[in-house]
Amino acid sequence: MKTLALFLLFVGNFMYSQQEFPAVNVKSIDGETIATSSFNEKDKLYVFSFWATWCAPCIQELEAISEVYEDWKTQLNVEIIAVATDDSRTQKRVKPLINGKGWSYTILLDSNQDLKRKLSIANIPYLVVVKNNQIVFVQNGHTPGAEEELLAKLKSL
Amino acid sequence: MKKISLLIAIAFSGISFGQTEEVKEEKKGNFFGGFESNSQWYTNDKNREINHPEDPFRSNSYLNLNYSYGRWTAGIQGESYAPNALQNYNPKYDETNVATYYLNYKSNKLDVTAGYFYEQFGSGLLLRSWEDRSLGINNALRGGKITYTPTDNFMFTALYGRHRSGFDVSGGDVFGFNSDINLFKLLKIESSDLSVGFSYVGRYEETDMINPDFDELTNAYAGRFNFSKGNFYWSTEFNYKSKDGVLYDSNIVDDYTKPGTALLMNFGYSKKGFGLDATFRRLENISFYSEREPEVLAPEKTSIYFNDKLMNFVPSLTKQHHFNLANIYVYQAQSLVYLDPNNGVGKAGEIGGQIDFYYDFAKTTTLGGKYGTKIAVNFSNWNNLKGDYTLFPPDYKTDFFGFGKKYFSDFNIEVTKKLSPKLTSSFAFINQYYNNQYITGASNVTVKTNILAAEFDYNFSNGRAAKLAVEHMWADNDRKNWAALLLEYNFNTKFSMFASDMYNYGYDADANLIDHETDPFDIHFYNVGGAYKKGSTRFALNYGRQRGGLVCAGGVCRFVPPSTGLGFTITTSFN
Repeated sequence: MKTLALFLLFVGNFMYSQQEFPAVNVKSIDGETIATSSFNEKDKLYVFSFWATWCAPCIQELEAISEVYEDWKTQLNVEIIAVATDDSRTQKRVKPLINGKGWSYTILLDSNQDLKRKLSIANIPYLVVVKNNQIVFVQNGHTPGAEEELLAKLKSL
Repeated sequence: MKKISLLIAIAFSGISFGQTEEVKEEKKGNFFGGFESNSQWYTNDKNREINHPEDPFRSNSYLNLNYSYGRWTAGIQGESYAPNALQNYNPKYDETNVATYYLNYKSNKLDVTAGYFYEQFGSGLLLRSWEDRSLGINNALRGGKITYTPTDNFMFTALYGRHRSGFDVSGGDVFGFNSDINLFKLLKIESSDLSVGFSYVGRYEETDMINPDFDELTNAYAGRFNFSKGNFYWSTEFNYKSKDGVLYDSNIVDDYTKPGTALLMNFGYSKKGFGLDATFRRLENISFYSEREPEVLAPEKTSIYFNDKLMNFVPSLTKQHHFNLANIYVYQAQSLVYLDPNNGVGKAGEIGGQIDFYYDFAKTTTLGGKYGTKIAVNFSNWNNLKGDYTLFPPDYKTDFFGFGKKYFSDFNIEVTKKLSPKLTSSFAFINQYYNNQYITGASNVTVKTNILAAEFDYNFSNGRAAKLAVEHMWADNDRKNWAALLLEYNFNTKFSMFASDMYNYGYDADANLIDHETDPFDIHFYNVGGAYKKGSTRFALNYGRQRGGLVCAGGVCRFVPPSTGLGFTITTSFN
């Protein structure tokens, strides 16, 4: 019981403190090493969307945002980074899928899930919004039609 | 060194003149981590002839805590399987204790870890250590790892460690070296892109055998390249594992030693609205564990069954279906050599491939309609290696490009069509061939199936949405036909509920088709549940009968093991 109380205290502490975005090396779709710390333009909103080619709700979410992405960019200084958590079973599908869908997102490959693990993401889809290297908002799961709510949230950050 | 980086920084600031200001790096302490708990209250189920285990309440919990300061990060993961691990998890997960810990130093070029770490070389066919809680896999290596990235175009990794196994480590020592080089970027060739990689993995384990026909150190090598030009890409890798003892009835026997190989090739062409991707793979004796002989962990269940002490990752290259019925006859990659004198089965690997084709019919064309139509076709086919298999004394000799007995095939086509701004539909046809005797050996039947599935998503407003999925499978053998239904409703962006059922019918009630791990006939696999999520936290509750497989609800997908009862999940991350 004591441990539990201590744990809850810990959790409470963490939940209300702003967090730095973890520094991890991931790969671009062309195999280049990219440091997460390179997403560092001042006051820009970086939306990291964790997805996989086999995850239907993830694709639904990215498709929905894709339709309004150009519009968002006129309203906000925002960049969406689609982080493919596909392991080597399905990673070869990432390129044809994004090209086929014509997504204009920045694509990162997190094939052994180093970034996903650092953020303790249990399930995808999962969004992490980073501003000035701080995590300012997270959203887990996808609800169809929730893009407007997300846009409103991004505007408030 | 500092002067050079300063010079580069000045040079870059000149080049990027007009670009926006960058965030300055601040040195400060930072806590992060996460908590996940999956628990299950197992109930008796008269119809399924299931008695709950002696301790009906079981849970798996994971608490991960990290602290970083400047370039240093330290972390610890505690795990609790109390009062016992969920059913069918590795019996070595049997306590509440510290599971992994690490200390890491990371600068722009250097990344050094002491303690437990995760790593993957290439596609992982020789070395992958990773964590998958739903599968009970955590083969983190305990030791040390150094990664050196002098520029974006070079990456070198050297490591040593022992695999985590339960709350202990395995007896085999693992050595590894890996390099990844972006050759064309380095040579400033810009019209196309070529990267290459080389890996070495060594596994050292002492043996009790007198005069073994293999070395105690098993050496494995891999070479690979990735090429792309415009919309075209091509990658190939070859892996070789030196001669080592092969398992025969779960044991190493005298003079039965073989090398192993894996060849993987992938080609593709894609542009907006069109994609084509083809993969070929041939595996021979490429199962690789940090200990040669498996550990017996439960009656008739060894460490291999529980995916324990795995060196490498050999995924099955087939489509990962999200429809429930398409996940009943699921192919498993065949990397293991298996010779069984009792039923005459002899296999040494697999050969085959898969092809994917995507096409979008644009809006306002005949087939595209008002909102466009998307089509995805996938075909995969896998066979045993052609060769001579001697069941006793055990031996085999394979042809490199020969196709032996067919294991599995899957042809599927999925059409997605938006019918109105609020309604999206998708239809799928799936045809599968599944040779159970050769794939799992659990039964001697070969099944051919045809599956039809339809899914409808309707968006109201403010996050209110509904989903309906209807599926039917016609099977010519085994347990014959199945029907399935799924209903899901999102009340808002935070709260959702679902109800589903799967039913098996049209069978001949054959006792041979039922063993202690499968269900009796005439069972409704119903399930109801709900999920509430806020920020990074998610609670989910469900009651029902689980067959196991990939289940998606409330916009989230995960694998669940079979059971009857009440399940509760909480996941959160602290950030």
